[in-house]
Amino acid sequence: MKVFFHALSPTLESLSAVSGSHPSSNSSRLAVETRRLTRVYKTRRETTTALHDVDLEVEQGELFGVLGPNGAGKTTLIKILVTLLLPTSGEAFVDSLDVVRDYKRLRNRIAMVSGGEQAGYGVLKVREQLWMFSQFYGMDSKAARRRIDELLDRLGLAEAGNKEITSLSSGMRQKMNLVRGLMTDPRVLFLDEPTVALDVGAARDVRSEVQRWMAEDPTRTVILTTHYMQEADELCDRVAIVNRGRIVAEGAPRTLKASVDEDVIVDLQLDPGTPLLDRLRAIEGVGAASVREEDGVDRFSLLLADDAVLPRVMTTVEGAGRRVSGLVRRQPTLEDAFVKLVGRSMTEEEAG
Amino acid sequence: MGVAVARQLSGYRAAVLLGWAVSSNWTRPILFIAYSLLRPVSMALILAVMYTVITGNAAATRPYLAFLIIGTAFWSFIQEGVSEFANGILEDRGRYHILKYAYIAPLGFPIYLVGRATSKLASAAASVVIVLLVGAFALHLGINPLQIDYPLLVAACLLAFVSVIAFAITFSTMLLAGRDTNGYGDIIAQFLYLFSGAIFPISVLPGPIAWIASLSPLPYWLELCRRAILHARVYQMFPNMSDGEVLLRLVVATAGTVLLGYILFRFTDRRARRLGHIDMEVNW
Amino acid sequence: MSAIQHAERSPLRIFLKTIVARAYPRVVAANRHKSWLFLDMALPMVGALAMVLVYQGLHAPRQYLGFVVMGGAMLAFWQNVLWTMGAQFSWDRGNGTLELMAVSPTSFEAVLLGMAGGAMIMTTVRAAFIILIGSLVFNVTYTAGGLLPAIGVFLLTLGALYGMGMLLASLFLFYSREAWHLGDALQEPVNFLSGLYFPVKALGIPAGTETLLVAAQVPIFALLAGVALRYLESRARKDGKLVTRWE
Repeated sequence: MKVFFHALSPTLESLSAVSGSHPSSNSSRLAVETRRLTRVYKTRRETTTALHDVDLEVEQGELFGVLGPNGAGKTTLIKILVTLLLPTSGEAFVDSLDVVRDYKRLRNRIAMVSGGEQAGYGVLKVREQLWMFSQFYGMDSKAARRRIDELLDRLGLAEAGNKEITSLSSGMRQKMNLVRGLMTDPRVLFLDEPTVALDVGAARDVRSEVQRWMAEDPTRTVILTTHYMQEADELCDRVAIVNRGRIVAEGAPRTLKASVDEDVIVDLQLDPGTPLLDRLRAIEGVGAASVREEDGVDRFSLLLADDAVLPRVMTTVEGAGRRVSGLVRRQPTLEDAFVKLVGRSMTEEEAG
Repeated sequence: MGVAVARQLSGYRAAVLLGWAVSSNWTRPILFIAYSLLRPVSMALILAVMYTVITGNAAATRPYLAFLIIGTAFWSFIQEGVSEFANGILEDRGRYHILKYAYIAPLGFPIYLVGRATSKLASAAASVVIVLLVGAFALHLGINPLQIDYPLLVAACLLAFVSVIAFAITFSTMLLAGRDTNGYGDIIAQFLYLFSGAIFPISVLPGPIAWIASLSPLPYWLELCRRAILHARVYQMFPNMSDGEVLLRLVVATAGTVLLGYILFRFTDRRARRLGHIDMEVNW
Repeated sequence: MSAIQHAERSPLRIFLKTIVARAYPRVVAANRHKSWLFLDMALPMVGALAMVLVYQGLHAPRQYLGFVVMGGAMLAFWQNVLWTMGAQFSWDRGNGTLELMAVSPTSFEAVLLGMAGGAMIMTTVRAAFIILIGSLVFNVTYTAGGLLPAIGVFLLTLGALYGMGMLLASLFLFYSREAWHLGDALQEPVNFLSGLYFPVKALGIPAGTETLLVAAQVPIFALLAGVALRYLESRARKDGKLVTRWE
């Protein structure tokens, strides 16, 4: 582990220099701030550090993404910030309130929506369910009902409002959950993988509603965790890439992608055959390599120092007896930035 | 053939382990056993107090106390067999969402259900012994292990086991075909309580209900258990019948239950599939 | 910025609104799912019927049937407290509702009071039916002189029972399945000790003493429930138990 981070450190330094240029001056108000935030889970059998010395600053009005593979610590971070979980050490502030000491006041100002949420009572209809939650925030009943109707209408759920929640599709259900998060007009909205397992259309609706809600008021802040790089790229003003409980990079998606701008990024499709990943990684000039199997072919993503590396790659591929079925040079993505930073793909990190 | 049987056995074993894990992994085994015994022992004590309040524990009425306690002891089988069977199936569907996988597995669905309930039936067997011990030592019912007619007891219990399992499988599948059926396992177990002759003779029931109760195998099973354990020193529900006659009635009633159960199972299984309820999302 | 944004509402307002809102599903549920209504009434009725038949088998005097009918009615409350209050938090945690309540500015006390209030209203209606039907079917008569003290003891008992329900809810929240099974195992012993089916003097406890015991339980359970909820909520936040789903 130590060796791993040592190897990574030059990259980290260069990226912190980039993120340091972001306008996070002390004069602007912070929506979220964490200082050396650490959370350790202990069971009889093992101790796991889910978050390790996380320092984070998110300004008011930002749509901030927390990116990383499953198990990286994203949800733990959110749970601490929404007062569900206490940190083991370090400090965290949301809207300038301490999540440990001022948690009661803080709960007036935040809301949380998680992906795949099944919360609520099946016996209630959608409107009733939402009204019930609005009362937990002390909202005036009439105002709450008006707000609920307005949001249901915006998300195309006006008719579904009178259905019992068990009859909703997963997309409708998640839209209802989003209404629940928005109806109290929180100062900071936490979205934990809000589009996980949704179809393309429902995911797009959720994303555009979040953007519209943000656009209505420049002081609103959203903290979004996701492992969909595309989603983070599309939505977020800035992102933090989290891996194994640490923030490995932070900055605007464009800035992070710029870190791989000088590399040549190549997608190589090979028919199935002998394993090749380690051999490709060993080639001089291959900055990073990852592979995923899709539709019966192996799709390798390679970060090359320059075009001259490609012939060496092809020689290795041919030497292994693998047949090339496709080769594309493409623009960098956040996934490439992740691979370059961590040395492995998100899928590999999730596999452990 | 051999492979098929081995596969069924291994599936059964997995279902047993699953049932055991679900019902017991919340605590240490010793606490699990203690908790499993609290209910039947308390029930026996409730009845003993009711009996004492009314009769003053007079010597002449002691056979009736024995009737109550032995009936309560063996009742655990029906309680666990029926309500736990039903609760298990609904829990697997609504809470753990695994029922659909068990249902489409090559393992016969009834075998899965039996496996899932086996651990509960085993703990019910333990509570039978404990309540009988309470009867023997705390309530001085005169139970002597050396005087028990074991062949009669085992025969009666085997037949009852077959009919309870047949009923439980059918009933559980009926619940699967319905909506909002959580809790029905308990209610049916309670209804069977009325028909079984566990804590009062079925002759106390109003005429037509007593007749329906006489079609059930449960009163004959409990009667044989009582006779096997205490012979003539227990109140008898069917004093005019010999042991053989009661056993014959138990055999006939069991066969009827199995046949009826099979027909109903086929029907409700098909109905559950037609309605798409096997993997129905329910608010647990 | 919309008019309702950023208003930090008074804790009292949130507390009261939560009670009403959480009672709502309880009342609605009873009307929408008739099968639950049937179950809630049928279970205690069948239990009571079984005990009536035991007394008939023992040729007991008719006055004992009154015990059983009243016992059946109280059983409805006890089962309600045990399962729809004590266990409800575990269910709420299981499907993620609890964590949404936890991140809102409301308090668990208010949620539990709402649950208790809704449940009490509905169960009182059911218990009244049980007494009515039971009394008619078994021809039970009551003396007018005993009515007022009976109502007083009944209200005290409800206070104690629902206070215990709140305590159980916090225990279930923290000890989860262990407490759940404990609740299950406690059902019959409590039926035994509470004299649901026979006069308590049969256990050697004078009725007056038991009334005093019940009265003492009201503040004790309320206090214990409040302390337990606060302690367990903070422990649950520390250990991550509020966010645990299935165990």
